[in-house]
Amino acid sequence: MLDGLAADHFFNPRNVGDADEPRFTGRAASLLCGAHVRFSIQVDEAQRVSQVKFRAVGCNVLIAAASMLTEQVTGLTTAEAATIGTQAINCGALPYDALLDAIREYSNTARADWPGDEALICTCFFVSERTIEREIETRGLTTVAEVTRACNAGAGCGSCHQLIQEILATNDLPR
Amino acid sequence: MIYLDNNATTRVAPEVLAAMQPYLSDFFGNPSSAHALGREMKRAVENSREHVANLIGAAKPDEIVFTSCGSESDNWAIRGVLATQPNKKHIITTLVEHEAVQNLCRLLEGEGYEVTWLGVDQNGELDLDALRAALRRDTALVSIMLANNETGVLFPIQEVGRIVREESEAVFHVDGVQAVAKIPIDLKNTAVDLFALSGHKLHAPQGIGALYVRQGLSLPSFIVGGGQEQGRRAGTSAVPNIVGLGAACRLALEDNNHERIERLRNRLEDRILKTIPNARLNGIADRAKRLPNTSNISFEYVDGQSILMHLDEAGICVSTGSACHSSTHESSPTLRAMNVPYTAAQGSIRFSLSRYNTDEDVETTLKVLPGIIAKLAAMSPYQDELTAVRR
Repeated sequence: MLDGLAADHFFNPRNVGDADEPRFTGRAASLLCGAHVRFSIQVDEAQRVSQVKFRAVGCNVLIAAASMLTEQVTGLTTAEAATIGTQAINCGALPYDALLDAIREYSNTARADWPGDEALICTCFFVSERTIEREIETRGLTTVAEVTRACNAGAGCGSCHQLIQEILATNDLPR
Repeated sequence: MIYLDNNATTRVAPEVLAAMQPYLSDFFGNPSSAHALGREMKRAVENSREHVANLIGAAKPDEIVFTSCGSESDNWAIRGVLATQPNKKHIITTLVEHEAVQNLCRLLEGEGYEVTWLGVDQNGELDLDALRAALRRDTALVSIMLANNETGVLFPIQEVGRIVREESEAVFHVDGVQAVAKIPIDLKNTAVDLFALSGHKLHAPQGIGALYVRQGLSLPSFIVGGGQEQGRRAGTSAVPNIVGLGAACRLALEDNNHERIERLRNRLEDRILKTIPNARLNGIADRAKRLPNTSNISFEYVDGQSILMHLDEAGICVSTGSACHSSTHESSPTLRAMNVPYTAAQGSIRFSLSRYNTDEDVETTLKVLPGIIAKLAAMSPYQDELTAVRR
């Protein structure tokens, strides 16, 4: 049984529906119980999730989790949203899977639309070499983790960590 | 609170409680004792046995053996029959039996028994030709329920019994738990050998069941110990509960309320199917072939557990066949056997009425339910499908 805040989210779910166009949509479903949840998001130019909406057919745990997640990730960057993680299991974890799927669609679309006039280092959140260099320079960053926190590069699959390391090394000029 | 979950369990009738009360206070003896108090207890037990026998049309009260619950009755019947025929290794049952039968038969498959699982059609009806074809020389047992707990669909046990009797030497067990007190039953005019029932489904307390054992049939004791129940079921008789079951059976015979309950059920079912576009009935439409108190309705493209929680918030108790109704996360085997589509099985709600429901209960439910379904449908990802069913 749900109580308190979770129950309120079940009986009065927030952000139900579809995000405005252009939107990116993700789905997750359970073959065990038949639950099905759909997240749609809008992402602004600063890569922030500016709008989150969901639709779901599922139990009270799933609906409460979905509703709470929409509030939690609104305003975060796609990288922050994709890495907040979830402690939930079974039905409760499905909304997070659907959100990740929506972010993936956004990333795939944005990557396809990448103009290609500068080198792309982080392909998950498409951060260019120039952006990373600028962040390192202006903020005096020294580790991959700091770079990720600063500009999302490396927050996804992790395959660019080596490249970021190399950029850090190149920029680590003697004082 | 509006209680529409009477196939799960029922309220103890005031008449039943009144009958039990002396046996929870002054009449505390053991019916096996020889003194006056013991004899009074014994008399109460035998009196109850008669009421049970009367309700299900047993030829003699001695054909009734008291147990602790319906599941014990089913387990004893099935294990008992198999124990008396060690050379027969074949069982016939259905895919829509209660867990007490179904899970035991699955277990028996692991113990070297071959089980034929009879299916049902989309209305939940049994294929009697499949039964005929399945009967073999080494069939020890046919176990088939009378009324399905989820849909209320009735199996023709009279005809099944005739087929089993004429075309085999198998013993015929019927799980009658969900049917007793809801429809007239007359076992002496059937070929039913064993028949399980449970008190708490008919306004007796939980913790009391019975097994009808046709005269001439002998089963080894399931619980070994003293000589209670003519040596057929050991353990000190649960006299208060037995008296409660007897009183409940008597009440069901004298004042059965069948027509009134059926009228309420029909009103509920008709209005739901008429006013809610994504509602569809599970189980055969012909009401003569269903229990008069049960209505299993799927609300397509919404989730049964969510409907249940919203109804609960409104003070209305129902059940769901959706996967989340239990920790097993499996959708209802009955609805699966009926080939109910996934998106409908997930939104199934069982309404089951009793003598204590009123017109007001039904009208309140009819007032509350459409809004809940509309709210959940508006959240559903299946908007195109919902638009299609609204046409």
